[in-house]
Amino acid sequence: MSSEIAAGGQQQRARYKPSQAIIVLGVTVLLFVVLSAALPGFVTLGNLFTLARNISILGILALGMAVVVIGRGIDLSQIATLACSAAIAVTLINSGWPAFPAIGLGLVLSIAIGAANGFLVSVVEIPALFTTLASGLLVLGVTRALVVPHYQVFLQPGHDWLLKLGGTVAGGLPVPVIAFAICALALHLFLSRTVLGRFIYAHGDNAQAARLSGMATRPLTMLEYAICSGIGYVGGVIMVGSTSLMHLQVAESTMIFDVILVVVLGGVSLVGGRGNVVSVIAGTVLIGVLLNAMTIMNLDIQTQDMIKGGVLLLAIALDSYIHPRDEETAKQGD
Amino acid sequence: MSVIRGVGLKWMSAGLASAAIAAIALGSIDTARAADPRAELFQKFQTAVKGKTVAWVPVWLGVLESEWTRVMKAHFDDYGIKLIVRDPNFKSDVQLQAVSSLINEKPDILVVQNPTTTLLARELKRAMDSGIKVIQVNMASNQLTDAYVGADVPKLGRVLAEEVVKTCGGGKGSGKVAILQGEATAAYSLDMTKAATEIFNGDKSIKVVSSQPTNWDANKAADVTTNVLQQNPDLCGIFSVWGPQTAGAAQVVKNAGKQGQVKIFVASDGQPADCDMVEQGLFTKNLSYRADTQGEAIVNAVLTLLQDSRPAGTTQLAYYTTNYWVSGKDDRHYCFVVPKE
Repeated sequence: MSSEIAAGGQQQRARYKPSQAIIVLGVTVLLFVVLSAALPGFVTLGNLFTLARNISILGILALGMAVVVIGRGIDLSQIATLACSAAIAVTLINSGWPAFPAIGLGLVLSIAIGAANGFLVSVVEIPALFTTLASGLLVLGVTRALVVPHYQVFLQPGHDWLLKLGGTVAGGLPVPVIAFAICALALHLFLSRTVLGRFIYAHGDNAQAARLSGMATRPLTMLEYAICSGIGYVGGVIMVGSTSLMHLQVAESTMIFDVILVVVLGGVSLVGGRGNVVSVIAGTVLIGVLLNAMTIMNLDIQTQDMIKGGVLLLAIALDSYIHPRDEETAKQGD
Repeated sequence: MSVIRGVGLKWMSAGLASAAIAAIALGSIDTARAADPRAELFQKFQTAVKGKTVAWVPVWLGVLESEWTRVMKAHFDDYGIKLIVRDPNFKSDVQLQAVSSLINEKPDILVVQNPTTTLLARELKRAMDSGIKVIQVNMASNQLTDAYVGADVPKLGRVLAEEVVKTCGGGKGSGKVAILQGEATAAYSLDMTKAATEIFNGDKSIKVVSSQPTNWDANKAADVTTNVLQQNPDLCGIFSVWGPQTAGAAQVVKNAGKQGQVKIFVASDGQPADCDMVEQGLFTKNLSYRADTQGEAIVNAVLTLLQDSRPAGTTQLAYYTTNYWVSGKDDRHYCFVVPKE
């Protein structure tokens, strides 16, 4: 945001340029109005809760991904990490472990995998794309070989409190939505109010300058990836809560691209240092409105793909228009 | 009456006695002249079967495929048949490559699970031309081969849909039905959805309110079901092509307090978890087939083809799987048990 104001201050480009998050929110509102008028059953409290619930997990994962992308990285192993950590936690619970240590161990595991990713990216200096692509496969392979041979693990009956994470509280408010809200608020405060949060922006904006000005960019990178995995794990536990199982196949699905889509759509640019929690929420809500409407209309998969693909292309075009590539920034994701 | 029966018995016992004497006499002559015919049979079997190689390429090694593999391995070990397994892990290009390279390795039998009706068709023809007998499992490709073992998927869809119509149609429920597909392009899902949709369209009291792919993912199924329930609170039935994805839908129905009101019908491959779900009342009914007996059917097809001296491509045997309803605890035996390793 600040960089845009700075750019706007230069020379003739002084007129107001809305941030991508604002544009996306605008598109969402427009879409919302049209759908409310055209689609019966869209604008009811129940459906809004449904809509919010359906995007909560995606939103939570996108919050984690945003931290890495702001630091000019990318984490393709996020889904694999959360799926495997959650699957291991569920396996432990099934084998008689008390729930809190089991879930805690899963969290520690996911954070450790994230930190290891950060280590490989910053110290060994392997590009993030390859590191996380490989580490995701490694994590999945090891988990399958040792813990979950058949790709899926069902939570045994008798742990209803865990299933409540997928349920609703009084008034019909879905618990995943509350979790998304808590994660969003916590991350927003972290990114905007703490020194470490500002460091992450500086790191993404110009890693060399950040390093030269004395920031410990290597531990910082590890922190970014650890946060990404840790927040992702929250999404994983909620997945278990809403479906009573963890199916490792999500790690090989296109879900990771949905996460990146949401992040980029809202304006967390792949060039790093840009965007914030509002961007993630904007992207998530737009995708949520789209998915919800497409499901209500019972569109076939081809039409859904066309619409999703079109929106993604539009978002990327918008991104490169508002944040033109140059030598300094054209590194990650190109 | 009793007199006649007495006479009959006498004659019969006399006949039996003489037959027994004859058999003993013949038997002793035979053993003296050559090997015991039973030993000979076994010898013939051994020659046909022992040391042969079976190559097996599933779509991936999921629960179902692992169970097939386990059963095959147990039997083949017993008969002295070598089993080569290649796991392409759902990647069609890898699977095609695996089959191509296996043709060069010249196994005696090639067993494949087709992901689509066309992907492997050419390679299966090539395999048979080069003298490898080919068995297809759970989905026949457009290229017929020496044997097919597996479920009749359209029939599975029809039977399950008819059960939904019986429960929800004719004014017994709202008649509103949601279909949970698998992956939109997977032939298993397409075939079953198509067959079911035809049944549903044929009954005026049934309305399909949603037919969406879930990509085999419980989370996606949960999302879709939340949406459908929101729009249709009087939903009567859910028709799902596969068990694990349906767990997500069942959890949503339970959370909405509609367990029992929304009836969930699932086509199942007999995974233990599917039977668990029925027992917990989360699924209404599974139409199941048993992976373990399917595995045995594959073994039987292999044994048949190995003992048949005719060249590859001569026969087109079929071993269709029988389906079973699972609707409670008593039907537990229709789900297989994954042995602890």
